[in-house]
Amino acid sequence: MTDKFEPHIVGFLCNWCSYAGADLAGTSKLQVPSSLTPIRVMCSSRVDPVLVLTALLRGADGVLIAGCHPGDCHYDEGNYYTRRRFATLKKVVESLGLEHDRLCLSWISASEGQRFADIITEFTEKIKKMGPNPMKKNTGL
Amino acid sequence: MNNKNSNSDILVIGAGIAGIEASLMLSKSDRKVHLIEKNSYTGGMSIKFEEVFSNMECSTCMISPKQQDLLQDKNINLIMLATVEDVKGSPGDFKVKIHKKPRYVDMDNCIGCTACFDPCPVSIKNEFEEGLSTRKAIYIPCAGALPNVPCIDTNNCLRFQGKDCQACQDACMFNAIDFNQKDEKIELNVEAIIVATGYKLFDPNNTPHYGYKKINDVYTALEFERLYASNGPTQGKIQLKNGKTPKSGAIIHCIGRDKQGYCSSVCCMYSLKFNHYLKSKIPEIQIFELYTDLCIPGKSHQKFYEKIKQTGTTLIRATDIKITQQGQKIAITHTDEKGKKRNIIVDMVILSPAIVPNTDASQLANILGITCDDLGFYKEENQNISSVVTPKPGVFIVGCSQGPKNIQETVSQANAAVGKILSASQEGING
Amino acid sequence: MDRKIGVYICECGPNIAEKIDIDKVIKAVSPLDDVSIATRYKLLCSEQGKKFLEEQIKKNGLTHLVVAACSPRDHQHTFMTICENAGINPFLFQLANIREQCAWITENKEEATNKAIRLTKAAIGRVRYHVPLEKKEIESNPDVLVIGGGIAGMEASLHLASPQRKIYLVEKTSQLGGVVTNLEKTFPDMQSCPKIIQDKIDQVTNNDNIKVYTNCEVTEILGFFGNFEGTVTQNNNEDKTTVGFNVGAVVLATGCALFDPTDDPNYGYGKFDNVITALEFEKMNLAGNIRLKNGKTPKSVAIIHCVGRDKKGYCSEICCMYSIKFVRYLQNKIPEIKISNFYTDLCLPEKSYQKFYEQSRGKKNDFIRIDSIKITNPGNKLTITHNDEQGNKKSHGVDMVILSPALEPSVDTKKLAEFTRISQDDEGFFAEEHEKLGPVTTSTEGVYIAGCAQGPKSIQNTLIQAEAVAGKILSSLIPGKKIEPEVKVAHISESFCIGCKTCLTVCSYGVITFDSTKKVCVANEVICRGCGNCVAACPSGAASLKHFTFNQLRQELKEAVL
Repeated sequence: MTDKFEPHIVGFLCNWCSYAGADLAGTSKLQVPSSLTPIRVMCSSRVDPVLVLTALLRGADGVLIAGCHPGDCHYDEGNYYTRRRFATLKKVVESLGLEHDRLCLSWISASEGQRFADIITEFTEKIKKMGPNPMKKNTGL
Repeated sequence: MNNKNSNSDILVIGAGIAGIEASLMLSKSDRKVHLIEKNSYTGGMSIKFEEVFSNMECSTCMISPKQQDLLQDKNINLIMLATVEDVKGSPGDFKVKIHKKPRYVDMDNCIGCTACFDPCPVSIKNEFEEGLSTRKAIYIPCAGALPNVPCIDTNNCLRFQGKDCQACQDACMFNAIDFNQKDEKIELNVEAIIVATGYKLFDPNNTPHYGYKKINDVYTALEFERLYASNGPTQGKIQLKNGKTPKSGAIIHCIGRDKQGYCSSVCCMYSLKFNHYLKSKIPEIQIFELYTDLCIPGKSHQKFYEKIKQTGTTLIRATDIKITQQGQKIAITHTDEKGKKRNIIVDMVILSPAIVPNTDASQLANILGITCDDLGFYKEENQNISSVVTPKPGVFIVGCSQGPKNIQETVSQANAAVGKILSASQEGING
Repeated sequence: MDRKIGVYICECGPNIAEKIDIDKVIKAVSPLDDVSIATRYKLLCSEQGKKFLEEQIKKNGLTHLVVAACSPRDHQHTFMTICENAGINPFLFQLANIREQCAWITENKEEATNKAIRLTKAAIGRVRYHVPLEKKEIESNPDVLVIGGGIAGMEASLHLASPQRKIYLVEKTSQLGGVVTNLEKTFPDMQSCPKIIQDKIDQVTNNDNIKVYTNCEVTEILGFFGNFEGTVTQNNNEDKTTVGFNVGAVVLATGCALFDPTDDPNYGYGKFDNVITALEFEKMNLAGNIRLKNGKTPKSVAIIHCVGRDKKGYCSEICCMYSIKFVRYLQNKIPEIKISNFYTDLCLPEKSYQKFYEQSRGKKNDFIRIDSIKITNPGNKLTITHNDEQGNKKSHGVDMVILSPALEPSVDTKKLAEFTRISQDDEGFFAEEHEKLGPVTTSTEGVYIAGCAQGPKSIQNTLIQAEAVAGKILSSLIPGKKIEPEVKVAHISESFCIGCKTCLTVCSYGVITFDSTKKVCVANEVICRGCGNCVAACPSGAASLKHFTFNQLRQELKEAVL
């Protein structure tokens, strides 16, 4: 194995809950692995499965989708659709020969700064154990 | 176009959920709002809750967008650490005197980095956290409080007690700390006043048979809310004073109901919410709920109750409750529904107290020229005209300052008061 | 396009400067395409900082702005305003969060710097593909259609009506007043209902800006916030006329119905004489005619609370109070009468209710807690059987039984929910937009609900909701003022749409309609909330979300994985 593998994880965070929770981790000065690059969307339901696949096929070691807890979605039911899409995505990702655990779906509320930090830490550890994304050499997308 | 004369400003007293809601609505119709808040933070009581019934929605997620909107709204003049001292004049033309205490931190320069906290040598009990953790003399009440700007507690700050200390100022890179700020007297001319000053909880020290403050691990509702809160003193870990995880708990409804003489309408629901809190963190915990009448009006509330019942909680219709220490545990003697005397032993007790008027309610009533009812809540003119209208035209009472109620009813009243104000000032309408 | 992107990295005092090697970030982003300047500044959100940025934009002729600083939730608004002041479209801006989500959470300076570089590059990558977005202004009609002429509808109408705002108050029956016309008194202050209701009716009738249409049924509601078209059919004797309204908002104040106890064998309603519902008793009482079927005056009455509560699954909030009010009615009209109230839990949720209950108790009345109850009629004597608190069976014989039934949604709820594309909740009432913060609004912007149509409540709370609806409409539909809808909304390309309607099924707000001529879906940009759910659902890529397009997000994530 080469020296320390530092994963690159893309995180889609919804503006109202999970992005706010991530900000709270910041204002609380909690330590969060720098593996995550957050991308803000208005609702987790905006996360197009093709975007997730693009990320993975371009070599992202992990993709996180985070939204409001079920029932709390700022746009009523958006996160229920996220959940459904995620279930299908996992199967698609497997069919591409990738480990479905490279995908993570989490519900993080605006007051859960610590939880955000914990989830990113856990996910990073998991990805480290899995090793780098075998698709890393693809840059055509 | 709305005819706007110089008196079309509105005064809203209290920046809890009712005050914020009313202010945002008024701003939407291009009215200028002066929102007075006595604390250093917005959000009132509702930001102390982690979740709200009946869908267990995250309270912060629900309220912080409103707080953010408030802070960015150009029509709303938010005046914090301020109280109303005097109101003169007549409906449509009130002259209000505000007393604003200094924050000693410049709100424009401060960027909320919290570098000033560590160096402060003073440590005192944090009132926001119900005394369950400490804060410094320069502080924000909790992580995520908005505005994210600290204030100095002059009663405990060494400098303001005559000692020589400027540790916070030395640590600040933004020249945000200004010991020279002074009290301000602000005069406002407003068309109408909305009173949204909220409530406090009945103090269980007045009912010693519940063992509050005498027995460890007897908590009030607000203390327990902070214990459960992810941004609270234990980051949401429910633990006893000795650090252990409770194996059993009892939630006692109706604390102070007899003394106060009314049902506070929300306690049964939030007591069931506490049940949910406990089970979600400690799935094997055994829970008892002791109540007199189950008061759960609201179309979705009984469903929630049924759900909680199914998790195996023991519901006891109980009277003559007495709580005593029994070794390391807590004993609750009571008379059950059938008239039999019973005893249960638990690790932890949560008291659900009545909602009572704020300590300064009657003082503010005098200033505003309105009255309080027998219970100390602000008095509406006539319940069947509208419960937000007082006998003094132009002064409206909303939320728990008018009487105990849940957030939905509070928000409706805030909307209604704005409805009444905007309705009267529609062009062509005689006010 | 000749882009000139200015990249400004905020030091935020020591907050960012000490945790991130800013010069390294500048070095990394300066050579990127279209970046015409990359530099640092001490504190961009300060007054001097804001001035500096504005001057920089003008001086350098920048077309796009990237700021790497704090969270967009803090200062997005601030920097967008600066863009506007400097003459560039505020949407040609992106804020990279290198404080809350980088400097403050990353101890290792090298890691923090690398992450800051990634985030800034991502912002630059994204902003290249931003397009200017303009604020929209839509003409709107300030008039309101109020459906339901009961106390809620009348209260809302009275608060809304003005010479600039016409109210069309539509009532199904031939009279205004609704259910309150059947009541003698309110609780807890025992005020005269006929007076209250007549007062409202007089005010409504005398108001030139309220037009009342009785004997009307709604047949259609089309359109959207600011521009609804409502159609009603008016039945006048033999004639049926169609009336149409153009309005900006619709208020549903259609009240509720009472649970029908006929099918419940425990109560004997419809089987035994002198078992009546609360409404029947109210009418009897109002007419001053509390009598048994045989014309005699009852000597004993039982009032049964919570009728239908188990079946409906909720507490109707007002029944305990009106049952206690009945005690007062009876004590007043028939002083010697013996009254027994049978209840499961006493629900007294307002500050003055408990006192009302305590003051209603007397020597001749009992409040008895039960868990189950059965009414029989052996030998033509109404008998109430229940278990007492010790579990023993008890029986009471009474002359008359009053059943206090649950409140349920009115029969028109389903139809009106369909017309307005709002949902009904699990109990069948109109679903409010948000249980706590949106009790009188719905998922369809411009459609409001008030009173028992939203859920069981007292007259007091009904009036509050009616006034709340007025407040909502008065603050959002202002005569002469245009509506400024959300800008970052969905758009469906007609040429790419395959008409599968997937977007339509996922939208919570009724934004999308199907054009059956063109066989494509159309998104109404006026009421779109901008969540993007339809965009992610669309299989053909026809749907896009302004300012969060697929390509913009893809460019952003490109940097995240490199």
